[in-house]
Amino acid sequence: MGKLPSTLLRRPTSLYTSTSTTTTTTTTKTTSSPPRCLLQHQQLRHATFVLRPRRPYQFTQLVQLSDGSTFTVRTTMPSALYKSSKDSRNHVLWQPTEKSLRNIEVDEAGKLAAFRDRYGRGWDIDEVVPTADEAEAVVAEAAAAAKTKTAEVEAKAVVDKKAEAAQEQKTNGEDPFDSLIDLISSYSKFDPNTKGGKSAKDAARDEGKKKR
Amino acid sequence: MAGLRGVSQSARSLPLSQLSRPACPSYPACSRRSASTQATESPALHDLETDSTLGAPQLSPDEKRQFRPWKRAADRKGFGLPGSRYQFHPPKYSRGPLHPIQSPPSSDPVARDFVPGPFNMPRMRQTYQATIASDIMTLAYNHIPPGTPDREQPERLRDWDGTSEYHKNRPKRGPRGSPVLPLVEQNITFRNIPEITEITIASYAPQAVKDPEHLLVARTMLLAIAGTTPDITRTKSSVVQWGIIEGQRAGVKTTIYGNAAYEFLDRCIHLVFPRIKDWKGIRATTGDSSGNLAFGFAPEEVALFPEIEVNYDMYPSKMIPGCRVFVKTSATSDRQARLLLQTMGVPFYGEVRN
Repeated sequence: MGKLPSTLLRRPTSLYTSTSTTTTTTTTKTTSSPPRCLLQHQQLRHATFVLRPRRPYQFTQLVQLSDGSTFTVRTTMPSALYKSSKDSRNHVLWQPTEKSLRNIEVDEAGKLAAFRDRYGRGWDIDEVVPTADEAEAVVAEAAAAAKTKTAEVEAKAVVDKKAEAAQEQKTNGEDPFDSLIDLISSYSKFDPNTKGGKSAKDAARDEGKKKR
Repeated sequence: MAGLRGVSQSARSLPLSQLSRPACPSYPACSRRSASTQATESPALHDLETDSTLGAPQLSPDEKRQFRPWKRAADRKGFGLPGSRYQFHPPKYSRGPLHPIQSPPSSDPVARDFVPGPFNMPRMRQTYQATIASDIMTLAYNHIPPGTPDREQPERLRDWDGTSEYHKNRPKRGPRGSPVLPLVEQNITFRNIPEITEITIASYAPQAVKDPEHLLVARTMLLAIAGTTPDITRTKSSVVQWGIIEGQRAGVKTTIYGNAAYEFLDRCIHLVFPRIKDWKGIRATTGDSSGNLAFGFAPEEVALFPEIEVNYDMYPSKMIPGCRVFVKTSATSDRQARLLLQTMGVPFYGEVRN
């Protein structure tokens, strides 16, 4: 039975080669032995292996930034929603005009403010105290500006306070930590206008109130 | 079957009953032949068929029922079309464009190299197309009045002086000092707006020479960050003091293109950079003076990626390596690439070079 020519590629098997060898040795039949090709053992220079790309599973995820904006990303993380607490929307480097981000002190629970309420801030090195010249300038300014009675009263209060502070500084020298008396005298002194007195949240809220 | 040999192909395909049926008398005139009629019949009309085709007998309903060509096609086994369980598998090997067996294009879902997608439009890419590209073009607009002659570019390769006969047809020499011919900055026009081409993320873990676990951690980390399977790199040269020998496996890297690159950059800029403590930005001196910028993440900064952060406990925290990110852009100079990244939201700090 003669073999018909087929369009299919002949698959090289060990069986083929073995049968062909037997036929050639016995020479009983005059069959055309298939060409010997050892595809498995030789590298083929004329055939390129088409590689299946190996890629990890990726999920579609909804990312919510801290300002509430959302967008989808493809990620290897399996959670469907990712809420970020710190990102470029609430970072000073990207939002330089946002005032609520300027305050570096994180005091969300108001504990630092409460501490200051109770113990004052005489221990604070960074506390800015106006000098005597500044106090005088303030006095002159206030006198010029004070026309109404209420304004005068306010200005007086401010001047008194600043003058007092200046005098304190004069008496106790440069370092407020030098004398313990100063530390004691500043105890329970209420001063809401000091730096970092309010938390970022409170400051923002107050600002909002003022705007209205 | 031997009796049917002589019959034509179409006749053979008819059922046997139809063939063996006694044929109707084709020449009724001839059967009633007589001497008188034979005399009058002209020999020219002898071959003429007197019978009409319309008078052929109709098939009986039984015979009609028996005539089922579809049944014959179904009974023919081994020659017909493949059944429903057949599935096409593209060839494993591509044997060139002239081979009769061709693999389907990679856009075909059955192709071996098919990658599904895209599944979303990355935010950064959308912003680039809608805003950034036109912004950059406007920023870098350089008005040249029409009719201005082109400025002649000076020859950057050095000619040979013809002192020797052998200088003829010699290729020109490179620039003095360095063998590298730097790129010439191209003007930004409507068809030459810089964009992100690809991002390569590489991580070097020299401890992997002694403890291969480091390599595994680095691989997992990079896979989680980039979303592709990383390749393992080897040390280029041996350094005795560092205890490395040339050819040892000591690092991983991947390259991401297109949408993946834009998404990675987006994640870096908007989620990772803001979380790094006391981060000032990327050093402005970065760049290879041909429009490719780079930055790096320390090991503790890598942990800030959301993909790592989500299951940070699964990683051995001391083994997490840092990584370097190389952003390749189609810009031809560093300042154009910096402009592109700045509009995308990357802050730069410090002295500017190039």
